[in-house]
Amino acid sequence: MKYLVGVLAIAVSAQVLAEPVLVEGGQYVPVVVLDKELEQLTMPNFMLDAAPVTHAEYQTFVLAHPKWRRDTIPAIFHDGHYLKSWQTADSHAVDDADKAVTQVSWFAARAYCKAQGGRLPSLEEWEYASAQYRQQQGLTDHEYARMLFSWHTNPTTYAQLPLDPVAGKLNHMHDRVNEWVEDFQLLLTNGDDNDVLSGSCGDSARFMADFGEASYATFFRYQSRSNYRAQSTTSTLGFRCAYDVE
Amino acid sequence: MNAMIKLLAGIGVAGLLASGALAQDHSHHHNHANHTTLGAAEVRQDDSIYHLDANWQAHTGQELTLAQLQGQPVVISMIYGSCTTACPVLVNDARRVYEALPEAYQPYVKLVMVSFDEDRDTPAALAEYAAKYNLGDDTWLFLHGEDSDIRAMATMLGVRYRKRPDGDFDHSNLVTVLDTQGRIVQRTEGLNRPVDDAVKALMKVIDDNHLMHH
Repeated sequence: MKYLVGVLAIAVSAQVLAEPVLVEGGQYVPVVVLDKELEQLTMPNFMLDAAPVTHAEYQTFVLAHPKWRRDTIPAIFHDGHYLKSWQTADSHAVDDADKAVTQVSWFAARAYCKAQGGRLPSLEEWEYASAQYRQQQGLTDHEYARMLFSWHTNPTTYAQLPLDPVAGKLNHMHDRVNEWVEDFQLLLTNGDDNDVLSGSCGDSARFMADFGEASYATFFRYQSRSNYRAQSTTSTLGFRCAYDVE
Repeated sequence: MNAMIKLLAGIGVAGLLASGALAQDHSHHHNHANHTTLGAAEVRQDDSIYHLDANWQAHTGQELTLAQLQGQPVVISMIYGSCTTACPVLVNDARRVYEALPEAYQPYVKLVMVSFDEDRDTPAALAEYAAKYNLGDDTWLFLHGEDSDIRAMATMLGVRYRKRPDGDFDHSNLVTVLDTQGRIVQRTEGLNRPVDDAVKALMKVIDDNHLMHH
């Protein structure tokens, strides 16, 4: 009984700890350059969930929005594995409450964020937040690259770890799940010069700003994203929501 | 490559200007509800893009959801009004599909152009666009929506795009045929492509659904 209470307390506090945090705007140089002319972006302030959305949080959403149950979601919004790990259509697996929800399609992730009054972060917002997170955590390029390569070596194991967020700051940007962004379908090339539908690995690498190990690790994440379809529901892909600041 | 695109675009614009209004006689199909009015209905097909429940504003000022397009085949593409390269060609490609249909089939087809550009392509701007290219008759529907709905629509259609810092858009060029339920039945990728497959797909939808009355 004591154990149960402990688990509940963690569940509640994790939810509070995952409250959105302010990401302060500023100058930002993307690792993957999309415009020949413009290499530095000016980012506005925005709010971002401190941690990825959990199974428990997602369950609350599904209960309130039955359209997004796995037994009612239209087939066009997923690839067949939507919430497959759940015990039933309206309850996640027993041990998963505090883990990042996965097996959610882009459509589902967007619907969740919309229901919270938010939206998915844009790719640039997410990457900008990731850069700030690296600074906050004091991660060297090498440590960051090692973390990402470690994740990519065994993403399923990382995705299964419970979230353990610290209040008031960004958490788990690199060590749990990959995350949906609004414009994940990265345009790999520029304008009418290329047929964007045929973009491949080789194409996008041309647009890397530098080839250090940290940039290469980041590039891995871009590459993963461009492999997703909006219907994808993999077990290593979750999301967090962003919110505009007035 | 750029020169090629510009050449194609030039041909497209010339085609638009030269052909004038879509002067088909529509008087014989006014009693067909599936064309002249857009009746709302529940989306039943599991793989229909009409599950997107966004609200759109047409160049006519009419508000609609995609589900209201049910009941007729649709040729759909995505463009933006201030685009002078690929977009006029895409519009012209949709028109070429339409004009390659046997005349008896034409009244059953809707040509829908969805704008990437929430800021600049207001319904009024789209009305101007339609008027400029003589696309004002009720075969055409130019749609204005919100960024997030435009993104969902593009994703459904497989159109990739990105707003550039200068306000213009990089985008893929795709003309898609939807059946009466909003399912994708045929896609043509690229500019100024042959229209035969799209025409065949449209005729099949019209025939299979017995849309033509005799």
